[in-house]
Amino acid sequence: MSSQPHVLVIGGGSTGCGIARDLAMRGLDVTLVEQGNLTHGTTGRMHGLLHSGGRYAVADQASAKECMIENRILRDIASHCVEETGGLFVKRPEDSEEYFQKKLEGCKECDIPVEVLSGEEARKEEPYLAKDVEKAIRVPDGAVDPFRLCVANAASAEEHGARIETHAPVVDVLKEGDEVVGVEVEHKSGPGKRVHREPGTREEIRADYVVNATGAWAGQIGEMAGLEQEIEVRPGKGVMTIMNTRQVDTVINRCKPKGDADIVVPHETTCILGTTDVEVDDPEDYPEEQWEVDLMIDTLKELVPIIEEARTIRSFWGVRPLYEPPGTGTSDSTDITRDFFLLDHSERDGVENFTSIVGGKFTTYRMMGEDISDHVCEQLGVDAECRTDEVPLPGSDDFSVLRDYMDEFGIRSPIGRRSAQRLGSRTDEVLDVDGPNPVVCECEAVTRAEVQDGIDGSGSDLNAVRLRTRASMGNCQGAFCCHRMASELYDEYDEETAYDAWDELYQERWKGERHAMWGRQLSQAALKYSLHGTTMNRDKDAATTDTVISDFTAFDTGVGASPSDGTAGTAATDGGRRGGD
Amino acid sequence: MSDAQQPSDFDATTAVDEFEPVDVFPSSEDMDLRPGADNCYKCTSCDTSCPVAEVNEDFPGPKFQGPEQWRLKRHEDVDIDDSIMSCSNCMRCDDACPSSVPLSQMHNTARGEYVEEHLDTFSMEYIRNRMLSNYRTMASIGSKVPRLANFVMGLGITSTLGEKIMGIPSERDVPEFATETFRQWWKKRGGSTVSNPDKQVAYFHGCYSNYNTVEVGKAMVRVFEEFGYEVLVPKQQCSGTPMFANGMLKDARREAEVNVRELGEAIDNGAEVIASCTSCSMALRQEYPELFDIDGVEELSEHTWEALEFLRVHEDIGQAINESEVDPQAFAYHAPCHARNQGLDRQAVELFRDLDGVTIEDVGDSCSGISGTYGWKSEKYETSMKIGAEMFDHMEHAEGDVGMTECPTCAMQMNHGTGYEIRHPLELLEEALV
Amino acid sequence: MAIREDVIVIGGGLAGSMAALETADGDASVRLITHKKSTLRHASGLIDVLGYLDEAEPVADPFAALSELPDDHPYSIAGEAAIRDGLARFDAAVGDTYHGAHTDSNALLPTFGGAVKPTARYPDAAAAGLASDSRDMLVVGFEELTEYNAGMLADHLDAADVPFDVDGVELNFPGEYANDSRVTRFAKRLDINEDVDHDGHTMGARQALADAVNPHLGDAERVGFPAFLGDDNAADVRADLERELGVAVFEIPMGPPSFPGMRLADQLKDALDDAGVHISAGNPVIDYEADGDEIEAVIVDSKGREVPYHAEEFILATGGLVGKGIDSDRDGTVEEPIFDCHIPHSDDRYDWFDEEAFGNQPFAHFGVRIDEGMRPLTADGEPEFANLRAAGGIVGGTDPVAEKSQSGISLTTAAAAGQRARERTAKREVSQ
Repeated sequence: MSSQPHVLVIGGGSTGCGIARDLAMRGLDVTLVEQGNLTHGTTGRMHGLLHSGGRYAVADQASAKECMIENRILRDIASHCVEETGGLFVKRPEDSEEYFQKKLEGCKECDIPVEVLSGEEARKEEPYLAKDVEKAIRVPDGAVDPFRLCVANAASAEEHGARIETHAPVVDVLKEGDEVVGVEVEHKSGPGKRVHREPGTREEIRADYVVNATGAWAGQIGEMAGLEQEIEVRPGKGVMTIMNTRQVDTVINRCKPKGDADIVVPHETTCILGTTDVEVDDPEDYPEEQWEVDLMIDTLKELVPIIEEARTIRSFWGVRPLYEPPGTGTSDSTDITRDFFLLDHSERDGVENFTSIVGGKFTTYRMMGEDISDHVCEQLGVDAECRTDEVPLPGSDDFSVLRDYMDEFGIRSPIGRRSAQRLGSRTDEVLDVDGPNPVVCECEAVTRAEVQDGIDGSGSDLNAVRLRTRASMGNCQGAFCCHRMASELYDEYDEETAYDAWDELYQERWKGERHAMWGRQLSQAALKYSLHGTTMNRDKDAATTDTVISDFTAFDTGVGASPSDGTAGTAATDGGRRGGD
Repeated sequence: MSDAQQPSDFDATTAVDEFEPVDVFPSSEDMDLRPGADNCYKCTSCDTSCPVAEVNEDFPGPKFQGPEQWRLKRHEDVDIDDSIMSCSNCMRCDDACPSSVPLSQMHNTARGEYVEEHLDTFSMEYIRNRMLSNYRTMASIGSKVPRLANFVMGLGITSTLGEKIMGIPSERDVPEFATETFRQWWKKRGGSTVSNPDKQVAYFHGCYSNYNTVEVGKAMVRVFEEFGYEVLVPKQQCSGTPMFANGMLKDARREAEVNVRELGEAIDNGAEVIASCTSCSMALRQEYPELFDIDGVEELSEHTWEALEFLRVHEDIGQAINESEVDPQAFAYHAPCHARNQGLDRQAVELFRDLDGVTIEDVGDSCSGISGTYGWKSEKYETSMKIGAEMFDHMEHAEGDVGMTECPTCAMQMNHGTGYEIRHPLELLEEALV
Repeated sequence: MAIREDVIVIGGGLAGSMAALETADGDASVRLITHKKSTLRHASGLIDVLGYLDEAEPVADPFAALSELPDDHPYSIAGEAAIRDGLARFDAAVGDTYHGAHTDSNALLPTFGGAVKPTARYPDAAAAGLASDSRDMLVVGFEELTEYNAGMLADHLDAADVPFDVDGVELNFPGEYANDSRVTRFAKRLDINEDVDHDGHTMGARQALADAVNPHLGDAERVGFPAFLGDDNAADVRADLERELGVAVFEIPMGPPSFPGMRLADQLKDALDDAGVHISAGNPVIDYEADGDEIEAVIVDSKGREVPYHAEEFILATGGLVGKGIDSDRDGTVEEPIFDCHIPHSDDRYDWFDEEAFGNQPFAHFGVRIDEGMRPLTADGEPEFANLRAAGGIVGGTDPVAEKSQSGISLTTAAAAGQRARERTAKREVSQ
């Protein structure tokens, strides 16, 4: 145990992981606890946009400037998590010219490099843009994989001695008088990596300082800490509709004041259509509605017409943890600021060693982390500089995707390329394996080596493996790889664990896929249902469901088979024979 | 008009110039086939129908080559896996796919992109492929001096050099040039002997029927005239089939422009286009509209027929066959892959079963293995023979000792593997009806 | 001349092929029009009649369970005799390559998902794997294949309390393989008994495989492999392995690519050939011509050109959502694209599915409703056409996946439709 102050971070989203990394790099002793998998909250349910700031350039220039600065930094330190797609703000004939100019000026004022393209020039780059798009502003938007980014931050924190615990929800905030002294968590299994069926334990974790980075759950943690003044987070849900392929390779924004369904973001092998903004009561339980999915398609087809007939593979919802200082009283949640707030509870509530961080956006996570780390260090009397903007994350050290994958690893170049795009500088260490390295998820080109690497980091949680590797996120939505992924868990984990994990992944895939049930995805789902139901009979699996087989001998024992226990093959045991044999 | 009408313009150096590597291909931005991946539901039916994947360890199969590889592509990614060159373009994957994924279109486009980006235009592989693709040009040279050409091509030293320098397998016999091309015969004959503006067909003879297997062209003319058709033989170039398979899309387009124009004119005058080679009809009907946006390409596709197919639909050929007879003969019929894709794989067998004197057996639905120029490459020779092994086996077990097929290269392969003489269905029709 | 037959069957899957065989059993001329390869190739090759009435336990005797089915179930409409006729015709078409006809009882087979499923007919290749057979079992898996892990599968069978000891072992398939070798590569290697290097010697693949398995046999009296034991020469492959290993050998049915499914498809094709059925493959039927309520012809899209095919009777066997016989769209439409037969469904697509992955899925019920003559019915319960019948996955009204009845429904409706079509054409000929 170190003599360094121990900081406990609650929340494994971008904010929490960013804080953990920063503090750990400054030499503090850090523990991070997260109730589910990393990115369980809002971070895992966003549209993958790395803002240039263009979207805020008119209405919220402070945010815009921050975004641009962080955009540059992340492209540097998180290169394997970021795709430099560029972005366009496109103007349709009915969109306001005045606003277009305002947007242009606003970007310039915020130091966002811009270029104006004619409709034709824009279509040269993105042939599927609507023919009547008149012109566009090019901005340095990017696409980011939030899972990969958080995993990398957490890995970096661990490299610097931090302890990361997932599936460890906080059940109580421990206090002595007015001082927060730690938390109590209930590990779903372990502590350690999650393993299905392994019993969990309660653990009291003592700390010198506790940071509440739980986003939409900030209020709940505040309650546990006995704060008199609630932390009023106003959750706002938004839909993300995932297209099967990339219709565009650039982020396409509608050049209009903020509204629903105004962005298409290329994300890995797909495009994400976003989004809506509806306030909800409970961040865990809210309606996922048809009109939201239809709105995405019907509106965004105005920008990219091919979207109307293109295949979607699933839709999911995320909840924005919006916060505004008490008394601001904004009625329409879409108007609430996206700025972040650091709530030091010593000042605000008289509760010591406890700070919450609320609001904010993904793109500025590192800056938020820096701010709060600075604050925590100040409170603890630690003098250490932030270096998270200089040091590349694990996986983002220099790497190239242009290699001879067949030669080096015996895999085909597109598969190698995709693997390297995900693994970055860890490619060699992961792909260099002995023995056969078949592809486990064909849709997303994930080899066994990468799945095993994912299992190393995730325990038996196949959803966590999925987040790391993208296995089961392709067009078949796990139809052909859920069982393959489960097979990879055996031998390290036993059969019961592997099947539990399989069932959990299968259901999780269905949760999002059912929002795409029409046309080709319905046909895909029907094939999946036939494969897992008719062929595999998992729906009536005697080992995992309520179905039982009480008497094997009531069934056909074979023709001419000689069962060794003497109960005859075909004569006495069948339940009824034809023709009176 | 056609090359046959430019004999005096022929110049060896011109021919060589035609093989000059072209610097800049049009960018294939408009050929983004990622949306085609939307249809795929990963059933792997294409893979299990692929004759190359079955025998070739290094070939991942159409599912990967097509929808999977395309779906993984980001705009700037240029590396297509080089196994795309092992795809023989037999198009059986198209035929198998329940979801109508545009597999061969994806493969042809990826192949074109690969050749553009990765194949060194000065490499022997490229030059050889270009030569094989531009068979028509080579044949037009050889057919000027057919006997000499046949003599030279038949020499051992030629095939040895061919193998060593160009990578053309010495095991294969180069098809012999006819002493008189079909077009020369047609011209000498004075064209059509039937005059009927309401019953016109424009014959797309293809390279082989013109330069090599002229008897097929003659049979076509005689059979159609027997049914009262006025046969036209417009100016035409290669259908482009060997060019698609080798990623030489620019060459293919060059030929297509002439074909669409000349055949289009005949169609405007009321004729239907007839092809005797099933790869030619396949190209005109499917690959043209898929790969080229030339004016009139859709019309050409709609008005193109395979020879037997046309007669079945427009004439009572079943009746005519029923009433005829020929000397007893037994055939082993192989349906070319490209015929299968047009839904024509059963027509010869179903038709000739009713012809008195004929025994005809289908030798199964395997691919012949040659796939046009594929089997003419040394590095692919073994694969092509492995694929064809099943067909050779069935042929030898069949009652027939004469092979039958519509595709000239399948015919070469059938002959190469069994030594059987191979005839075209039109030849048997001619025997029965004329 | 226009193409004219007595009966036209649209769709070349299990139902279409069997309907064609049924109608060809007589003097009628039959043409099967099929677009692409059949979905049989995805399926396990097993013939399920009725596996479950509910979630409690598998049905031991499907025939005894028929009376408990609702009146609008395809089996209730077609009748028990049609089920038996369908099975009989199937049995005749496949001969002794399939088993299960010796008893009315279902058989229980291990699946590659590790669960045990009830089925009525199973290929010879799978016969030694029956779960009611109490011989000790060894399951073999391969590191080169990802479809299942043998140890995991064996443990899972154990967890279902099967009446035999079962062990699993993962091996390397003898020889050298590319990382993405498909099941087809291994099947081909065994089929032609290609030479491979194994343990420093060169030998046939079958011998090498047996040698690799032998040391792990233990007390097992039967060995289960992935379903890749050859294609054209499957029987020889198994015979060789059994001889080398000295125990029974069986295949575990798998999903696509499914060799048992492909073999069955090939067998049915041969049966169609032998029966003199005309086959037009490669082009889709897209439309029809009718005179009142009698269909006169269907229109085939021949690479951009429309060609009519005439007949007296028509059987629609184009499949369901998987076979592409049923289309659906975001706006809530569910339709049968050729004849626009009525398919009962909610206009709200959010009514089409259940929240639970294996819940009661309304989309699984999509399909036409039929009368006793297998004719699709309009929303008012009248036949859409007098001479159009339906067979197979296009027929709805139950969840064939949950109750394990898909292939049985195909055989039954095919038999009933085929018989009716045959009778009607015979009548027409007589009355001419």
